[in-house]
Amino acid sequence: MSIDYILNITGSMLEGAQMTVLLFLIAIVVAIPLGFVLTLMANSKSKPIAWFASSYIYVMRGTPLLLQLLFICFGLPIIPIIGDYLIMDRFVAACLGFILNYAAYFAEIFRGGLLAIDKGQYEASQVLGLSRWQTTTKVILPQMFRVALPAVSNESITLVKDTALLYAVAVPELLHFAQTAVNRDFTIVPFVIAGVIYLLMTLVLTLLFKWLEKKFKFE
Amino acid sequence: MAIIEVSNVKKSFGNVDVLKNITFTVDKSEVIAVIGPSGSGKSTMLRSLIHLEHVNGGSICVQGDYLVKDGVYANGQGIKQITSKMGMVFQHFNLFPHLTVKENLELAPKYVKKASKEEISQKSRELLEKVGLSAKADVYPARLSGGQKQRVAIARALMMNPDIILFDEPTSALDPELTGEVLQVIKQLAEEHMTMIVVTHEMGFAREVANKIMFIDKGEILESGKPEQLFANPKFDRTRAFINTVL
Repeated sequence: MSIDYILNITGSMLEGAQMTVLLFLIAIVVAIPLGFVLTLMANSKSKPIAWFASSYIYVMRGTPLLLQLLFICFGLPIIPIIGDYLIMDRFVAACLGFILNYAAYFAEIFRGGLLAIDKGQYEASQVLGLSRWQTTTKVILPQMFRVALPAVSNESITLVKDTALLYAVAVPELLHFAQTAVNRDFTIVPFVIAGVIYLLMTLVLTLLFKWLEKKFKFE
Repeated sequence: MAIIEVSNVKKSFGNVDVLKNITFTVDKSEVIAVIGPSGSGKSTMLRSLIHLEHVNGGSICVQGDYLVKDGVYANGQGIKQITSKMGMVFQHFNLFPHLTVKENLELAPKYVKKASKEEISQKSRELLEKVGLSAKADVYPARLSGGQKQRVAIARALMMNPDIILFDEPTSALDPELTGEVLQVIKQLAEEHMTMIVVTHEMGFAREVANKIMFIDKGEILESGKPEQLFANPKFDRTRAFINTVL
């Protein structure tokens, strides 16, 4: 086992890791705002909107992400008649699956954040004459995000690891490269390297969220 | 001259009547202390005045404008305009925890009054000085004592130039040694002829600062009068019993 070998496969695995990082970034950047919209919908006074959002969250949280990915990648295209129009690039399909799934989880996290806000905050805003919109944007949301931050951090780390599910829909990513190398070279080293790369990614996230939590401590 | 007129106000939660036929007036520059056992409806009465509670009947008129007349509320804009004449200070302060003291004061004027930045910041400086907290302008509420928080809350209410301030048990959440600094600020406002309604358990303060005491029991104003008269010679046994238990 030479240093050269380790450097060599680390290089190719880092290439695979690019896919992992890309998926992570796309999923988180879209799923967080979408999750927030879902929270607002679930809290809506309009019954059909609230019902839709709650049902959506229930379905997305109540079924395995792997099933959802397979459903989008391999299920949709074989639906009679319309299936042909639902064939997507695997990576695009995977992004879609992650976004739809994670938005539901983020929605639940934000809902918890909203529940944690004391009703006195709404009352104080009202007696000061703030409008509903001003109350929401200037008083409630900043506090909600603060409360939700630790849970968002946790969910983000889960997302990094869930990217390994791309393996199942044959999008080449970090784990795929590791598995290929293990089979080809008959050594455990690529798995170890993959583990280390995942750890490094989650470390960066952990530090980033620690910093955010400190920055928004309001003390 | 009456600045607030309340007549026959009723409110119920389900089939519990919390307020029954509440009628009273508040004159300009008057300081009214509202006392009574817990659960008697005093907070609900106060919160109804600024539309934090919706009453089921009666009228509330503020400076000639009806917030609610014979159980019918003004429209949204009217409610906003009428309640904007009043400020409110809460038992649990309800400061905005994500904003500094100065930002707490300046948030509402900035978005509601749309006054100039210099005007707002000068006013917040003056008011923080008035409540003795100039040094805390850039601190978050989490770093303040209860007494300091409540003084910030009073300054925040004053930022909107209210004609009337409602206090809902402003010292009940404070350690005993911190009530003095808050009562001092309220007393100072009384000296400046601010019209105030204070729901309180501080009998000493009520006696010293209020022009009028209202004793509320079971959703009714059982009696009201000048402090010396009400404390020394209550008309009803229930009033006497209450005063004896708290003094």
